[in-house]
Amino acid sequence: MPKRTPSNPWTKPAGKPIEGKAIPRPRRTAEVQAYLPEFLRGMAITMRHFFKNTKEMMLGQKPDPVLEALNEGVTTICYPEEKRPYPERFRGLHRLTLRDDGSPRCVACLCCSTACPAQCIHIEAGEYAEGDKRRGYERYPKTFVIDELRCIFCGFCVEACPCDAIRMDTGIHATPYDSREQFIYRKDLLMEFTGRDGSRTSANPRHEPGDPTHPGLSREQMDH
Amino acid sequence: MSAVEIVLSVVKVLIMLLFFLNMAALCTWADRRQGAMVQDRVGPNRAVVHLPNMLARGIVLLPPALFGVLAIFSSLGALAGRAAAERFTVNVQLAILVGWFSLLVLCAKVRSGGAINKAEEMFADVDPRSFFFAGLGVHALGLVAGRLVPPASMPLAAQVSGFVLGGVFLIVALYATSRVPDGPIPLRLAGTLHAIADSIKMIWKEDFIPKNADRILHGLAPMLAVFSAIAVMAVVPFGPDLCFTDGNRNGTFDFSDLGNLVATVPASGACNGFLVKMQIIDLNVGILYIFGIAGTGIIGAAIAGWASDNKFALLGGLRASSQMVSYEVAMGLSLVGLFLVYGSVRMSDMAVWQGANAWGVFVQPLGFILFLTALCAETKRVPFDQPEGESEIVAGYFLEYSGFKWGMFMTGEYIELAFSSALLVALFFGGYSLPFLHADGITIAFGDTMLFQYKMTHLAVSIISALAFFGKTIFVTWVQIFFRWTLPRFRYDQLMKLGWTKLLPLAIANMMVTGVVVLALRNAGPAADSWLKLLADITQGFVAVATLAGFVALVVGLLEPVERKKFLASSAARFAAAMGGVKPEPQQA
Repeated sequence: MPKRTPSNPWTKPAGKPIEGKAIPRPRRTAEVQAYLPEFLRGMAITMRHFFKNTKEMMLGQKPDPVLEALNEGVTTICYPEEKRPYPERFRGLHRLTLRDDGSPRCVACLCCSTACPAQCIHIEAGEYAEGDKRRGYERYPKTFVIDELRCIFCGFCVEACPCDAIRMDTGIHATPYDSREQFIYRKDLLMEFTGRDGSRTSANPRHEPGDPTHPGLSREQMDH
Repeated sequence: MSAVEIVLSVVKVLIMLLFFLNMAALCTWADRRQGAMVQDRVGPNRAVVHLPNMLARGIVLLPPALFGVLAIFSSLGALAGRAAAERFTVNVQLAILVGWFSLLVLCAKVRSGGAINKAEEMFADVDPRSFFFAGLGVHALGLVAGRLVPPASMPLAAQVSGFVLGGVFLIVALYATSRVPDGPIPLRLAGTLHAIADSIKMIWKEDFIPKNADRILHGLAPMLAVFSAIAVMAVVPFGPDLCFTDGNRNGTFDFSDLGNLVATVPASGACNGFLVKMQIIDLNVGILYIFGIAGTGIIGAAIAGWASDNKFALLGGLRASSQMVSYEVAMGLSLVGLFLVYGSVRMSDMAVWQGANAWGVFVQPLGFILFLTALCAETKRVPFDQPEGESEIVAGYFLEYSGFKWGMFMTGEYIELAFSSALLVALFFGGYSLPFLHADGITIAFGDTMLFQYKMTHLAVSIISALAFFGKTIFVTWVQIFFRWTLPRFRYDQLMKLGWTKLLPLAIANMMVTGVVVLALRNAGPAADSWLKLLADITQGFVAVATLAGFVALVVGLLEPVERKKFLASSAARFAAAMGGVKPEPQQA
């Protein structure tokens, strides 16, 4: 006995009529066929929209285009003059946060450049000078370079940073330049940017070694 | 033809040319603007000219200051009697108008730009509609108060009101000038500068001609297209005949007679001096000339399609020419009924007939619909824009055109749009005539019962009539542009079917029925004539009432407050709301 082929649900089962929803034919009444009443109705609709929108433009009652999900009305924004505010957690260009003395908080641990999937961060770590209390405890970035053309704005560097030294809260959209060289952001430029609140520091306080608030061991407390 | 007639002809040509060319430029803007407003976009408003600050201040200061000084100087001499009373009324009403309108503008500016002192803050809190309603109230109050002034002191009142008007103008001018912000002022004119920017761009763009194209025909085609669009406007009357008397009694019309416009003419419009027609040339073939010249537009499209050496252009040219040829038949036949009624093909006779009887749209409603359809197809605009289907044959017959030649095609198309509106007005919407406005003034009469009469001068009637013609043309153009944003386009076979199997038989039927009815009415006797006259007057009354109702509805609609339902859907929207909406600050980007 030959094996019966399983029925394909996507094709018509044998011997069964096709079941489906009957789509009614379009109404072809005399009114529709005459075209003119429908034409006048359409003109009335377009004119109503025209007058409503024109009036709102003229009266300055245009709805706020950023408050989307407005069901009607002119919702375009005139871009260079009017700008859409970015959400609070928008990832803009990077900045390097500063300590109270104006030096970068970065300790050149290379966590960010390691985490970066685009490999756009280049850091050369430097040792503090002999006698500096941070020497041997932490390092500083001699160079800190971000290639903003390669950056994919994923924010992994911010996540990876143990010192809250790199942030993307400048609110600045990537800017168009005319040469690739201009997209290479170096340490001094990155330190110049401020957050949206205008500060160059971060909200998290920094506990320097030696401070009474410093939770860990300091060089003096170490016995080895 | 005397020298003065040549000069007047040149002036008339200039009037028509300037009107239609400007209309074409404005239509390109209005087309986009209407589409934007219908489809909830912003539309063209980005073209901007930065005026130097001093120039902007000068523009704000000088015109109203000039009006103010004129008002004061013209009030220095005393007037007497009726003239003083009229001057007083006009002065008071103008002062009130300028007053409330300036306050309205100030309110709008303060609301958008911020107040600089306590008084302005007060204005910002007032609903702008209040200014309009208060203004209307003060207008009425001014009319009533004017009646209370005793006739003896009317000359003094006229003078004082003149000084007040001048003062209002000067105050407005000075205050507005002081409120002009520092720095260059961006001038946008609601986006109308786009047309200028576009034409400048088109002049300087490269004029690309395909390698194997016929260079002569390629250059000739746009000229033909524009020629046919411009040449047709010669026979359209844009105002009633002006009547001049022979001042120096030398029997010829010369320049010194131009100042001798007769004061009044009788209701029949009869003139026993020199007639100047407000029409470039009053041909006895009239409308046939228009059909003939408009037919040459086909040649432009066909040549453009042929000379471009491009399959799509050739197809577009074929489509354009076959479409125009087909609809020309229906267009001509749909008007024959109208000729039977008017008894003439001369354009000026048609305007006079409509002014004396009823508008063409009432005597030939079917003819109007047929003609309007055929006209839309002739101008090749939506829903009949088959020659340039983007998805089928790209831009059709002007696919291989660029720069100014392309601009000529587009200008020609928009001139045709404006001209087709002028033609509709001249044939079906009474030409330059307004309901109840006759050569001697306003006479509201139904049949033999006279309701109201107000005598006007020949000059006033002529100016109002000419303005009525241009106003109606602008309005009809505006409505025609709406077709584009309302109707989906036809398929090409539907287009041909509509033309040959619907419009043409209907036009012929219309023609035959009209002929029978006209013959029957002509033999019906005087009783039928008086009934027809009454019916005609009723249609005039209907037009007047409908216009007034439309105007009131427009004002009421504009004053109605806007209500919207808002709900915030995303975090970005909530954040923006917390920030206080969109602010034009660069930090936000």
